[in-house]
Amino acid sequence: MKMRGAYAATLLSTLMLSGAAQAEYSAADEIKVLQGFKAGGGSDALAQLTQPFLRESLGVEFINEYLPGATGAIAWTRLTKQSPVDGSVVSITNTPMLMTNYIMNDSIHYSIDELTPIANVVTDPGIIVVPKDSPYKTVEDFFAAAKERPGEITVGNSGVGGDDFFSTIMIEKATGLSFQKVPFQGDGPSATAALGGKIDASFNNLGNVYGHIKSGSLRPLAVFTRERLDILPDVPTVMEKDIDVVAGSSRGYSAPAGIPDEARKELIAAFEALKENEDFKKTAQERAMNLDIQTGDDYGQMMQEMEGQFEDIWADVKDEVNQ
Amino acid sequence: MDNLVLVGLTNVITFTNISLILGGTLLGLFVGAMPGLSATMALALLLPLTFGMDPATGLSMLAALYVGASYGGSIAAILLRTPGTPSAAATVLDGFPLSQQGQAGRALGVSLFSSFIGGLMSGIALLTAAPLLGVLVLKFGPIELFAIAVLGITIIGSLSQGSVVSGLLSGTLGLLVSTVGMDLITGTPRMTFGIINLFSGIEFTVALIGLFSIPQALILIENAHGPQKVASKITDRLVPPFAEIRRLLPNIFRSGGIGIITGLIPGTGGDTASWFAYNEAKRFAKDKSRFGKGDIAGVAAPESANNAVVGGALIPTIALGIPGSSSTAILLGALMVQGILPGPNLLTDYGDVTYTLIWAVIFANVGLLLVGLLFTRLCVSVTRVPDSFVACSIITLCVIGAFAINNSLFEVGLMLGFGLFGYWMNKAGVSPAPMVIGLILGPVMETSFQQSMLIGQNNLSIFLTSPIAVVLLCIAVFSVLQATPFFRWLRVALRARTQAE
Repeated sequence: MKMRGAYAATLLSTLMLSGAAQAEYSAADEIKVLQGFKAGGGSDALAQLTQPFLRESLGVEFINEYLPGATGAIAWTRLTKQSPVDGSVVSITNTPMLMTNYIMNDSIHYSIDELTPIANVVTDPGIIVVPKDSPYKTVEDFFAAAKERPGEITVGNSGVGGDDFFSTIMIEKATGLSFQKVPFQGDGPSATAALGGKIDASFNNLGNVYGHIKSGSLRPLAVFTRERLDILPDVPTVMEKDIDVVAGSSRGYSAPAGIPDEARKELIAAFEALKENEDFKKTAQERAMNLDIQTGDDYGQMMQEMEGQFEDIWADVKDEVNQ
Repeated sequence: MDNLVLVGLTNVITFTNISLILGGTLLGLFVGAMPGLSATMALALLLPLTFGMDPATGLSMLAALYVGASYGGSIAAILLRTPGTPSAAATVLDGFPLSQQGQAGRALGVSLFSSFIGGLMSGIALLTAAPLLGVLVLKFGPIELFAIAVLGITIIGSLSQGSVVSGLLSGTLGLLVSTVGMDLITGTPRMTFGIINLFSGIEFTVALIGLFSIPQALILIENAHGPQKVASKITDRLVPPFAEIRRLLPNIFRSGGIGIITGLIPGTGGDTASWFAYNEAKRFAKDKSRFGKGDIAGVAAPESANNAVVGGALIPTIALGIPGSSSTAILLGALMVQGILPGPNLLTDYGDVTYTLIWAVIFANVGLLLVGLLFTRLCVSVTRVPDSFVACSIITLCVIGAFAINNSLFEVGLMLGFGLFGYWMNKAGVSPAPMVIGLILGPVMETSFQQSMLIGQNNLSIFLTSPIAVVLLCIAVFSVLQATPFFRWLRVALRARTQAE
């Protein structure tokens, strides 16, 4: 009975793999993916989207290990300090959390220099939304109100250190305005508070509020992208208003520094291939995930730029926040 | 609209779906009964399995799992004094004494029927009144949430058995421990001593397992060679007599209502609802002295409430696309995988799938009653196992459970630390229940207070601008006064006057 079970299991896994293994991953048969957040969250959603496709192209099994805590810092410390550098361990890296963690906290010791950036996969663009019965019809109205009553317009964000918190500061610095920033525990509660009119506006992410925008319960004022979004053609970017702010919450994959070059190239090639994979694109679209694939050095540069930007911002506002 | 309701119903009633509902319930019962394994965790792990399934099938299974786990927590709470889920903590207070008196079967039976009725109530509320109640959700912002937390804290007063001072001490300790971790507003780590495992605060479940389960195991070991314990008779019936259910019915209905309302408010869930329900059951009871010593009403109330939370938490989820709890956030994820974007149009544009989910919740409650009767009968035999074996199993389960929360040994150490502290509390006669309430409500109260202050430009009068908050705060003041000598004096004075007339 036991034998038969084992046989069935082997057969099943052979069947599942047989359609797959075109290219073998040179470094390992299994890749462990460290996730800094609980199962079922945004990082997990990325893993569930990407890994079935990567399993086919790399011919490896993925094992997710969830190590929630300290907004991802536990998993990223493990990745950089305590993981084998043979290419058998990677982690889902969320920016800007990845850098703001150690920029803001002296007790967190890893840095992006200890990583091999593999690929960014999704970016959820930043967006300003207001309640449907808000007096602010356009982003100009909103900024005008903030100018009239400095520090009184309440703006929700997903928490100190998150992308929405920093994009609020970036807007403040670029425009010279000041808002009353109200942190929530995640962008969901921040959107809910805006829905109920408890705050004047919420700096949020598109994927989280798109359903509410479509049904008219939240009004989008502006997005933090370089160009207007295809799905919201009427919503201006803040760039159009001469405010140089591009922000969003991104998720990708990184390995520890010093993994074998061959493994790095193979991993990068697998992500490059996803760019052309129609099936993958379709699945991502169905799950409302906005693809933004940037591999290898491009991802590395993206991280470097963000690190510099956030270090400057934090040096500026540190005393104000930690009053 | 009626059409969609029927489409949902027909989607659920197929052989595959019904059997998966039963399977999901059983799995949920098991997960719920294990300390440390939570419904959220099981849902997240099962979610990828449903990707390949038909939406109706996948959702039915997940909903059943959620419902099953909400009841399962009470099994270990009653039999072993180790709440299997955080929302079963209140069940321990009266469930375990009943079990010690050899009435484990009766307690489990009442718990099952209360869960069933509470769950069914919330399912019906979900089916009929979701859009109406959904509007209510948006009325609750930080200001109102703060008032709820303050009201919740007053429960500590009424829970302090014996000495009020020790109850307040325990509650204050809970509040103090809940401040460990990063400050929400400034991001500054507090009382973390540079240990990054503490940055997100102390996992509530870790403290809960430690405070209840480890002391119980140690006490069992201490008494292992003492007089034999009272084992529940196999003949102890699980199906409670009709008269008993009828007597408890007002209590169960009230608790179910509390569960639905608490579930709907984002930020509060089963763990809070069960304490509210327990407290109200005690407030309305004629003889309060039996509470804490094995009053069956103290089992019915929290269990009805924590199962009613399931439907309650789903109300904002389906009416507005806002998850009411971490478990419903995962159910929302399951909908997204089926190509449904969360928003206020779930009941209209995607009505077929949404009503399937609602019917699945209702059927899962019926399934719970059937599966529960069989599963629970098996569980009662735990009371026949010698204490020393039970003690070892409890400790093993605690270690596994604490590890499973964050996949880290740090939590295991922390849990054992809380365990030793809980043992000391037990010896010193300090009840851990107020501490648990402090731990649950501390973060809610602090966060919502800070947010309210930011919204109100540091002006305390912001709390008077919300009618809901004012009413809740008045009830809180009344509850506190009720516990003071002044109130007793007033009552005596009033009675004297009416007698004089």
